[in-house]
Amino acid sequence: MVSGALLTGAILIIISGNDPIAAYAALLEGAFSNSYRISETFVKAIPLMLMALGVSIAFKNQIWNIGAGGQFTIGTILSVIVCLYFKLPPIPTIILSFIFAFIGGALWGGLAGWLKARFNANEVITTLMLDYIATYLLAYLVYGPMMDPNGFGYPQSAVIEKVLRLPKLIVGGRLHTGIFVAIAILFLMLLFWRSTLGFKIELAGQGNDVSRYAGIDNKKIIVITMLLSGGLSGIAGWNEIHGIHFRLMTDLAGSYGSIAIVIALLGNLNPLGIAISAYFFSVLIVGGNTMQNLTGIPYSLVDIIQGLIVVFVITRTAFRTESIQTFFRKRRYQHNG
Amino acid sequence: MEKFAVEMRNITKIFGHLKANDAVDFKLRENSINGLLGENGAGKTTLMNVLYGLYRQEEGEIYIHGQKTDIVSPLKAISSGIGMVHQHFMLARPLTVVENIMLGRKSSRGIFLDTRKVAAEIRELSDRYHLMVDPYARIWQLSVGQQQRVEILTTIYQGANILILDEPTAVLTPQEAETLFSILRQMRDDGKSMILITHKLEEILSVVDDVTILRDGKMISSFKVTPATTKEELSRLMVGRDVLFDFNPAAVKPGKERLGMKDLRVKNDKGLPAVNNFSLSVSEGEIVGLAGVDGNGQKELAEALTGLRPAEGGKIFINGIEAENKPPVFFIHQGVAHIPEDRQNMGLAMGFCVSKNLIIKRFCQQPYAKNGVMNYKNIKNHAQKMIQDFQIKTNTTEDITRDLSGGNQQKVILARELADEPSVLIANQPTRGLDVGATEYVRSRLLEARSKGAAILLISADIEEIIQLSDRIAVIYNGELMGILPKGSQPETIGLLMMGKRQGENTGVKENQ
Repeated sequence: MVSGALLTGAILIIISGNDPIAAYAALLEGAFSNSYRISETFVKAIPLMLMALGVSIAFKNQIWNIGAGGQFTIGTILSVIVCLYFKLPPIPTIILSFIFAFIGGALWGGLAGWLKARFNANEVITTLMLDYIATYLLAYLVYGPMMDPNGFGYPQSAVIEKVLRLPKLIVGGRLHTGIFVAIAILFLMLLFWRSTLGFKIELAGQGNDVSRYAGIDNKKIIVITMLLSGGLSGIAGWNEIHGIHFRLMTDLAGSYGSIAIVIALLGNLNPLGIAISAYFFSVLIVGGNTMQNLTGIPYSLVDIIQGLIVVFVITRTAFRTESIQTFFRKRRYQHNG
Repeated sequence: MEKFAVEMRNITKIFGHLKANDAVDFKLRENSINGLLGENGAGKTTLMNVLYGLYRQEEGEIYIHGQKTDIVSPLKAISSGIGMVHQHFMLARPLTVVENIMLGRKSSRGIFLDTRKVAAEIRELSDRYHLMVDPYARIWQLSVGQQQRVEILTTIYQGANILILDEPTAVLTPQEAETLFSILRQMRDDGKSMILITHKLEEILSVVDDVTILRDGKMISSFKVTPATTKEELSRLMVGRDVLFDFNPAAVKPGKERLGMKDLRVKNDKGLPAVNNFSLSVSEGEIVGLAGVDGNGQKELAEALTGLRPAEGGKIFINGIEAENKPPVFFIHQGVAHIPEDRQNMGLAMGFCVSKNLIIKRFCQQPYAKNGVMNYKNIKNHAQKMIQDFQIKTNTTEDITRDLSGGNQQKVILARELADEPSVLIANQPTRGLDVGATEYVRSRLLEARSKGAAILLISADIEEIIQLSDRIAVIYNGELMGILPKGSQPETIGLLMMGKRQGENTGVKENQ
């Protein structure tokens, strides 16, 4: 799939009149040519992996949580609130900030889960809408009540204190100790899918009828699924605040939410697969900028490759499911007969 | 020299590595009914799909009325006079019979519909074969048997003189099946030739002129059916070994009540009453057969008895405990096993591997999980034992359930539901769609569960199965209990109740209802 996407991308580069080998070489150079760039590939991979792990929980239960960005945003907001306004010693502040970010993301996701369980509201709509609400809530806060009083009117909050920031791992790079938190969560996720709760979520994803038949309370599981799914994105938000940004700004989530979906699907919803594909996407993003500078091939190529991967992934899943196959068979059948 | 309506020579059809048809010869004499017999996966459907132009054969030739014909599509099949009556009807339910038949056909009046002309033609055809179909009736108003006759009418109207009928009696009561057979005989005498796909041996013996038996994609035997032909002979050819027909279960003395229903009322998905004031009791060591045509409330009843559907009124007793509207978990803990009608959506998580499917009802319990962590080693060991005990054909315990054959999928359900010696078993259509070998196996397992003391409610539309296994026979019609018959009742008696004739009522057979 990845190679398919890269090959198709290469064809597009040729069509645009450039040399694909040079382009990809520039991309790799941009990602790996010095220690700063290498550290950046990890920096970007952390939130992407956490959010992809989050959406993968929902996807396993066949719930299409496309609002990871909103859940992330709520996590960042609560982290900064704890850091700026709760006058506590450093260690309790960091821990409380983590808990608040998790709970905030969890509630943002859980609300969509509750709406689905209670009113059968389509989660694609609700998570998307909650995503917008979170984005505009953040904008309101940084333009209004949380704007840095000494910030010359820039739409951003005050920075959190230095003691609250996660220590840097390398000089001159942005890589921080948050990566250990991310790795710990990766391990937890591997264990999670071996737990009875993980089994319940997977079973619920096999269909309402069979999970009810097996004695599972589907509504409860939908809410729990979305709480956990959103919670992980909230933690991603905590990581970005304490490790990278140290303050709120508009549109912190960027397109992370949608990239996380692609990563989760490319990783086959498997935690290790997700970790690898998160790193792969991070390389594309970091290297893509350099490629644009060096070769003049626009960064949009990276977006195109992302899109192509989505297409390839969806094609794979679609043709593996029986329903689609029978659909085509039936179509042919009815058409002729 | 005999004339053949269809002659298929040396047909080979390959799917991947599998030879679904391996050099099959098939001959249908003119003016005859040929029964195509074989287990699931024997290649019957593949062969007929080749004849109907849905598949192209890799090798072999087809002759229609002696003419070599290259059947490239169903359109070509239809123009060659071949018609197919599908097992699942392809009718638009809100439309009338005549509208359904006109679908996809050019009108003789150009842009205007020629409804009246077609209706008259249909009425004429219907009268000729005693199909008793009203052209202006809407499909949803018709019984299953009548809908099937509409399908037959459609193919004849299209000009078919060779009819393929795919398991036509699967959905019919014995009386309806008998009506169908007399229609088929009449059509044969009128010059049509028919192929009857089936795995019911009685049908072969009662209506068919010739029989062709397929096994593992090969043509095993083809001969004229004579009064001397026996079921045993046919099944041996079909399965390749002797098959047990008469289980002759040793009578077990039933113990105390395990499952009770009193004035139970249940609604269907549309919110309409599906089960009305239903009272029945099943005791330890007893199989109560619940006979009925599909869609008479059996599914809703089974779901209410396992907590999957609310009871609107009345009572359910499980092991003497009032259980109506308790959650499904309660029933699971009380040892109520359930073989659901819808295996693929309810009985199995199709995307799960076999070992996981075997524990989906007990995954929180030891030894499969401890302190919230699954123990996949124990789950795998359990699966290996079950695969052996229940003769499930799978390569490994980790094979995805979707890839198993239907019979083996049902064995997975059976293994899960029977492994813990349930106190109550609700078995809804447990052998539907299974081949002879698997059916025999499932039935013997049900009897074994009974002798271990389970109270079994066997819900089935297959009268033969009901008669073979039940200690008492209850009949459901339109959600109501029509009566309870003793062991050894005649199929005709049961069939009348299945059509809504109450016990003791005047029993003039009324078809066309």
